[in-house]
Amino acid sequence: MNLQDSCLPKSNDHDLNGSPFAPSTSSSISKSHSAFDSILSSNSISTLTPSSSSNSTTTTTSYILGTNPITRQHQTEHNITITDKKSSIVTRLSTPPPIISSSNTNESSQDSVVTPFLVKHISDQSLIPHNNYHKYCYRHNPDITCNKSTDEDKMIKIQSALEKLPSRDQEAISHVWSIFSAAPSQHRQLILQGMLSQCCFPQLSFISQEVSTLIRIDFITTLPVELSLRILCYLDCRSLCNAAQVSKKWKSLADDDRVWHHMCEQHIDRKCPNCGWGLPLMHMKRARENAEEEIAPIKRRHEEISDDLVEGNGSSSSQPESSQPAEDSSNKRPKIEELSNTTTVSPPKVLKKRPWKSVYSERYKLEKNWRNGTYTIKRFLGHTDGVTCLQFNRKYLMTGSYDTTIKIWKIDTGECLKTLEGHTKGVRSLVFDNQKLITGGLDSTIKVWNYHTGQCIATYRGHEDSVVSVDFSGKSIVSGSADHTVKVWHVDSRTCYTLRGHTDWVNCVKIHPASNTIFSASDDTTIRMWDLQNNQCLRIFGGAGNNGHIGQVQTVIAFTYKEDLIEDESESENETHKPHHNGGIHPTIIGQARNEAQQQQERDRQQDLQQFNNIEENVEVEQQPQETSNDLLWDPTYPTHLLTSSLDNTIKLWDVKTGKCIRTQFGHIEGVWSIAADTFRIISGAHDRLIKVWDLQNGKCLHTFGNPSSVSCVGLSDSKFAAGLDNGVVKMYCF
Amino acid sequence: MSEPKVIMVSSDEERFKVDQVVAEKSVTIKNMIRDLNPDGLTEDFEVPVSTIRANVLSKVLEWCEHHKTTVFPDEDDEDAKKTAPIEEWDRTFFRVDQEMLYEIILAANFLNITPLRDSGCKIVAEMIRGKSPEELRKVFNITNDFTAEEEAAIRRENEWAEDR
Repeated sequence: MNLQDSCLPKSNDHDLNGSPFAPSTSSSISKSHSAFDSILSSNSISTLTPSSSSNSTTTTTSYILGTNPITRQHQTEHNITITDKKSSIVTRLSTPPPIISSSNTNESSQDSVVTPFLVKHISDQSLIPHNNYHKYCYRHNPDITCNKSTDEDKMIKIQSALEKLPSRDQEAISHVWSIFSAAPSQHRQLILQGMLSQCCFPQLSFISQEVSTLIRIDFITTLPVELSLRILCYLDCRSLCNAAQVSKKWKSLADDDRVWHHMCEQHIDRKCPNCGWGLPLMHMKRARENAEEEIAPIKRRHEEISDDLVEGNGSSSSQPESSQPAEDSSNKRPKIEELSNTTTVSPPKVLKKRPWKSVYSERYKLEKNWRNGTYTIKRFLGHTDGVTCLQFNRKYLMTGSYDTTIKIWKIDTGECLKTLEGHTKGVRSLVFDNQKLITGGLDSTIKVWNYHTGQCIATYRGHEDSVVSVDFSGKSIVSGSADHTVKVWHVDSRTCYTLRGHTDWVNCVKIHPASNTIFSASDDTTIRMWDLQNNQCLRIFGGAGNNGHIGQVQTVIAFTYKEDLIEDESESENETHKPHHNGGIHPTIIGQARNEAQQQQERDRQQDLQQFNNIEENVEVEQQPQETSNDLLWDPTYPTHLLTSSLDNTIKLWDVKTGKCIRTQFGHIEGVWSIAADTFRIISGAHDRLIKVWDLQNGKCLHTFGNPSSVSCVGLSDSKFAAGLDNGVVKMYCF
Repeated sequence: MSEPKVIMVSSDEERFKVDQVVAEKSVTIKNMIRDLNPDGLTEDFEVPVSTIRANVLSKVLEWCEHHKTTVFPDEDDEDAKKTAPIEEWDRTFFRVDQEMLYEIILAANFLNITPLRDSGCKIVAEMIRGKSPEELRKVFNITNDFTAEEEAAIRRENEWAEDR
């Protein structure tokens, strides 16, 4: 039974201090201010006389049975059943139902309660004591205006229907209403029960229909604010934006900063498990403007993204230096709250807070462009031979080419600011930060440049063949070469170590600063993981058993991903080796790697000494202690995953812990020269002249872009990606 | 002898006798019992919950009874809480009119039964989700108190979220 006491004491937001459930006296009467009252008073004042009956329940009964026209109609329709019903009702009503008699202490009085209420109701509202603690139900709360308008429509209809009746019927009906209106809540319930038990099904059906439209509650407005906000936090952004258009009160709640802060937490820099949307972190515009002189840190790699967060507070005034890179890989998700706390403390001036909703919408629009493939293209023309490598930040794009030069471009205008000349053969690799640019070339050298002045600061010689890859972190430079080695150059201690193991060109080296490890990708189809501390090979990724690459591996990207990445089912089922709990690797491969490393280090030490003594830097090599630990323990700072691209036309995703390939992405029809990735996307450039955009989480290809020439390198940021082509052109797609 | 029971008395003075585990789904009552009976209950414990009607209280207790052995996801993990879909039983349980839903949410809030409160809030969120502003006004009987100009401005302000 859904019919409920309409005067139930209920929480209201005008009860400011107390809990919504502050106790109320059970006998408190609701003051009806509805339009219902006006009808009652206009029709019934003159006709109502105090009833002489001594028992309220029998009074009610007599009205129902005697003068109510509805009952009469009922009688004519259902002649046979009515007599039985009548008698049963009379008996039921004359003996008070047990619930009320047991629960209501006021009921003990034998005097009529209806009569005094009627008198009170009609003669003067002010008779009701002012100190009486009133609690309004939702419907009769004078603060809630929206009910009343619909009630009014209904009242007008009732009024006109009533006026068509003979005056005696009008009088009788309004009398019934007045009694009900005046009755305290317990009586109302009783009256309703009596009426309902007389109703036949069509009438009950009418009631249930009416009731469903009558009980409509504006939850958001009337619930305590914290509950309303909680409800809104369960919504998606589109529903929230619709909610903001409902009414003023809804707007204020649906636009609330707490709700949108929560939305930002759910979506920024992570893929929301509910809706599959993730929004880019993006850098602060203000910081961008402040850093006019300085070149802001690089955002080329996944693990460095979360350094400088969110313009939500717009208050952090300085950019983090890249000399403290990526200490956050274990902390990749933005702790927005923490950050906003720290950032609001640090700056001297109070900066205006930006609403989280606008933070969200800015990122949302960008993400929508990525999804829909809405972009503009910028072209950078100047290289006279194929572009081999590139990197960009918010202002500058740097490209290296087979034409032996490095060019620095201003992204906004597309102009070439500087052309760095010094390599005697093609430039194959570059990496830069705020201060310096490091390049590796086919002339077997590594060069360090002050790109602000265009000066070459240092040249490192040591590789016996082309340097095809460089990376650095802090004061360590790592290089991969066609001579099959990886070299680690410690600038401060002026030492150089050679890491041997690969049996073919080393196409890509990447330092993972958080765990102090190096990843190298080679033409020998494997990827190796090295410990930068002791120069040992920790792991080899590859081989048929691990579903490894079957072609030359061109790029490796190490990153940490906390949520679930979609894996290929068949490939994880193929696993013959269960991963050990301590992050075990294939034991034979580890053993092999360790032996090789030990033997080769012995040989290399001599070579390195000679090399360094021969070159201008006059570096001494320190003796490296040989470690012979039995078991390699899983270090929580290790990246969790690798992404690799290969000339076997695939992109593979690896689980670092197990050393297995867990996903292979097909789509390119020729070798994949280069990939770049962030929290959401992978960009790949291949010999088939295509650039593809992939969803990192599920490995699906989202977009494919064609080019006139094969694609040799790609770079990615929140809002753009760049591709260097074999014909010397660099294209930038801006979303 | 049987275990001592908890007797909850509604605003309309109906008495509900339930097992202690059932009543203690409410953190409020659990704390009350702990505070007043540090050594555990030895006899029936009567709690007046004078803000909750019998109809509502019986629904709430029905929920507590059903979930007396359910282990809910970590309280502190907002993410898990948000992701968790509404249980099918809860969905059926909440097939009630808006007034009952409203009072159950308030009662769950008052009694501090977080999973029930959250389920209720999710039900309301589902009533809101995917509806146009006009539909929302209809469902919750809300008067549009914006002027035509305001309405147009707010629509423009929120356009970005349309058509993914």
